[in-house]
Amino acid sequence: MSTNVVPGGQKAANTPSNNVALVFGAAFALRLGLLNLPAFPSILADQVEISTPITSFKRLSEGVFLFRNGVPPYDGGVFHQAPLLLGLFYLIINSPPLVNALYILVDLAIGYMLLQITAIKERDSTSEKKIMQYGDKTEESGMSGLTVASLYLFNPFTIVSCIGKSTILFSNMAVVAGIWMGMKRNKGLAMFSIALATYLSFYPAMLMIPVVLMLTRGDIGKQQQKRISVQCGALFLACLISLFLLSFVLVDSWSFFSGVYGTILAVTDLTPNLGLLWYFFIEMFDHFRSFFLIVFQLHVFIFAVPVSIKLWKYPLFVSFILCAIMGTFKGYPSIGDAALYLGLLPLSSEIFKYMRYTFLVVNLFLYSSLLAPIFWYLWVYVGSGNANFFYAIGLVYGIGEIILMIDTTFAICRRDFEILSPPETSGDPASLGWDREVVQK
Amino acid sequence: MRPISGQMLLSTGVLLCIASSLSTIADASQQALHVKETVPILKAPEAFHEQLVLKPLNDGGAYSHFQFTTHIGTMMDEEHFDGAASNLFSHYNLFPRSIGQILHSFEVEELHLTFTQGRWQYSDWGYPLAPSVGTGVELWAWLNNNRLQAEGNWRGLTNTLSGLFCASLNFIDDTISIEPKLSFRNEGLYNVHSSKLSPSNTTSTTPRKLRYGSLPHENVCTENLTPWIKLLPCKSKSGIASLLKSHKLFDTRFYSMAIHVRPVCEDDKCKVKSLELVQTITTVFDVARQDGSYDWSLSSLFEREITQACPLASTSNIIVHLPQTTQFDKQYELTPMLPEGRYTIGSDENKQEIAVYDLKKAYSGDTSSSSEPFKLSMQWESSRPKSVQPISPGIVAHRYFTGYGQERGGLSIEIYNNDSQDVEAVLLDTLPWYLKLYLHTFTVHLNDQLLENYRDIVKKMYYQQAVDRARPAVLELALNLPSHSKIKFSISFDKVFLKYTEHPPDANRGFDIGYAVITVPLARQKGQIGYGSVDHLRIYQGRDASLVQSRRLSTQQQEGNDDDNETDKVRIYTETLLLSLPTPDFSMPYNVITLTCTVIALFFGSMFNLMTRNFEVVGSDKTKGKDKEKKDE
Repeated sequence: MSTNVVPGGQKAANTPSNNVALVFGAAFALRLGLLNLPAFPSILADQVEISTPITSFKRLSEGVFLFRNGVPPYDGGVFHQAPLLLGLFYLIINSPPLVNALYILVDLAIGYMLLQITAIKERDSTSEKKIMQYGDKTEESGMSGLTVASLYLFNPFTIVSCIGKSTILFSNMAVVAGIWMGMKRNKGLAMFSIALATYLSFYPAMLMIPVVLMLTRGDIGKQQQKRISVQCGALFLACLISLFLLSFVLVDSWSFFSGVYGTILAVTDLTPNLGLLWYFFIEMFDHFRSFFLIVFQLHVFIFAVPVSIKLWKYPLFVSFILCAIMGTFKGYPSIGDAALYLGLLPLSSEIFKYMRYTFLVVNLFLYSSLLAPIFWYLWVYVGSGNANFFYAIGLVYGIGEIILMIDTTFAICRRDFEILSPPETSGDPASLGWDREVVQK
Repeated sequence: MRPISGQMLLSTGVLLCIASSLSTIADASQQALHVKETVPILKAPEAFHEQLVLKPLNDGGAYSHFQFTTHIGTMMDEEHFDGAASNLFSHYNLFPRSIGQILHSFEVEELHLTFTQGRWQYSDWGYPLAPSVGTGVELWAWLNNNRLQAEGNWRGLTNTLSGLFCASLNFIDDTISIEPKLSFRNEGLYNVHSSKLSPSNTTSTTPRKLRYGSLPHENVCTENLTPWIKLLPCKSKSGIASLLKSHKLFDTRFYSMAIHVRPVCEDDKCKVKSLELVQTITTVFDVARQDGSYDWSLSSLFEREITQACPLASTSNIIVHLPQTTQFDKQYELTPMLPEGRYTIGSDENKQEIAVYDLKKAYSGDTSSSSEPFKLSMQWESSRPKSVQPISPGIVAHRYFTGYGQERGGLSIEIYNNDSQDVEAVLLDTLPWYLKLYLHTFTVHLNDQLLENYRDIVKKMYYQQAVDRARPAVLELALNLPSHSKIKFSISFDKVFLKYTEHPPDANRGFDIGYAVITVPLARQKGQIGYGSVDHLRIYQGRDASLVQSRRLSTQQQEGNDDDNETDKVRIYTETLLLSLPTPDFSMPYNVITLTCTVIALFFGSMFNLMTRNFEVVGSDKTKGKDKEKKDE
């Protein structure tokens, strides 16, 4: 799985950096080539699996157009993206090469940050060697940074999301930057990034907790931890409020609150996506709508605290699982959300060997990725299928995501258990190592 | 007691009216002026005119236009007038009380309600005499907004009219009501509710609100016609209205009926003002469908006959547009042909010969002749009126959807200007919220060539974004249409996925999308027939032509553009469209709720399990002990 990893092998120093240049160069060229194909980017941008009402580039263009022509962009049902995004694209949208370059660079930046995060994590884990060893076996070291970055950069989900110009990319960048800065113990930038991600797509507010866990990890006193946590909370709020104020200055109205966050939370736009909620709310009886809306939105957030408490030792994994929960249960999930958590997953590559359903999950993802566009076409264009077809694929995809989350959580719990109670070195070979039989109690 | 007194009141009213119409019908305005000196506050010179215009169409059809005009007059003595129009509606003789009360209680200044079935064929039939021919129901009103109650009043108005006309007007709610900025200007000339101000500056001071709504899907039938007829002073008992037989009227290619209420001036200086109620019915009969013959008569068209003029009517005319034959005159025969009733109106190429039949004169006093029905018939010598001049309307517009699939699409509006000069026009398009318009995809083609910069064509653009489940999108363009050109506007949209309860019962039929309206000022020469405006009645009556002129002048002064006072604003209605939206499976609610909740519960349960329980090695002491305990229990 990790061919680039040469543990202990200190070969020529410029080989890894050459590899980095190669990977990033290839990723850049691939994206540039695809973005310049005729019609291909616009076909991708029109796919409901890629562009949702809150991340569609078409709607962003409309918002910018309206803003430019003096029509209040949030006074309508089309544009639901953050005002600063509007401001950014206001400057560059007339130059397609610039827009393409921005998307490519942001995607590459995420890859680079994943590389850096892996490096920091490796440094951490070498200082805690005891985790690396248990029983009579030595745990293999995780994937190298370059593998993690390549897994992100060459993930088809990432590529189509980038080519389709989904603006979820900017939110993803903010999330990964927050994690990176958290790992680097840079309070200010970490909190700013998380605030930015929250500002762009609201749900990443949950990531406050794992990032604070990162900032307070290691051997620091309880008092220190408390102090940092309080500081982080204050910083986060300050950043968020200043972003809101800046937005207010830009669009000169508070209507963006209902336009952006109202739409995210109330799930008013029922355009199909890979999530579970659109069809649910199309079919829901009106008088139960608000009840289920509240329950489902709470359901996204309730896992933040228990997961962080249970797995406080693994803030990277907590970030992954929270991103996966967001990407599964939010109102408008897209391929871009999957790209984020699938990019974060290899950061916890040491748990892979404890996973039980990898084959099933991979198949579910493949199955839904292939069938979703086909069933969509059958329903919307050919008319030989109906809404249930696409909904069914959404369910399969959702089940895939859920099994992935459950399986990875199981794996990390299992690994945690192995570390806490390593198997005895002698005895039945069947009960040795990670394949010994355990039971949950 | 009550019904008796009501009846008495009515009968006295009728008596009064007949007396007044007999004595002083010669010049109503002069009479009103005269009264002003004697009665200081209020006098209502009510008057009722009835008229039927018949016109053979080029494709062999017969076009009939009924117009019934009722005036409830008031003389606004500016010092004594109390500001509210309550006195105006304190007593009803001819004016229908139901309309008067609606106008009064909802503070309506102008009201225009049209029911239409079928589509007006501009290229075959030319422009209609009726102002509105948009398929379905169209309602627009100027509301007094003094107390900022226009929204509530509009809701009340739609609901009351809904009850009055047995139509679904109550569905014109906020989600489809709009307030056009350039189209649908007020047609009345002064403001009844603020007559303390002099007529010249009334518009600037009174807050007024225009509300407009249309229901393209509404079907029009007998149940709408019956209440409409009830508004007439003579009902359908006598006069021209006795021709209104629903059985024949709805068996036509096009049917439109309307009421228009607006304040008008009765004299040049606008000292005497009145409220005008115009009721129109416009139909296009397919004459040749029955037996292949293009001949028609009143009795063959309507299966009814006129045996007398409405006794309450001041004027009662039937006007026939004589076909403009290109060759010798004698291709048709109109009987009876009265030599004194034949006029030529218009001039040059717009010349139109008309025959006028005055029913008042025909049935005046003579009791013996009143039993004789009025007979009118048109007979063609050849079987087909081939040699009539072709019609070439100056502006024609079409609208259609482009694209395929149920995800997105495009909307195109084509406007042809066949005139030899540039035309200033206003385009109004209202699209319901379930079309998500992308204004950045708006393009303009001039003669099939894409324009990069369309500033020369689109002078002004007003755009209101749609809000989901709250209000429609409005696109209003002030245009300059070059001569002999074809302009095409295109815009793309996404189709919205609706909740299953928001679909109509016949969901797969699709949604009707209302017409776009193009308001065009058509240059008119003096005396020419005013199309698309109820004012043409006055022109037929000859003596009122100057009055119309003066009104128009004063309107334009109010609007601030008195440069082209020789124009009529004609509204051209495009096709209504059918939009098919993606439908969910309507039988699925329980399945979807169950399946989705199961998937979510699967995650919640498993996660809860993982969060709350710890691992233990199978076969370890702890687990064995626990197993034992369980067995013991």
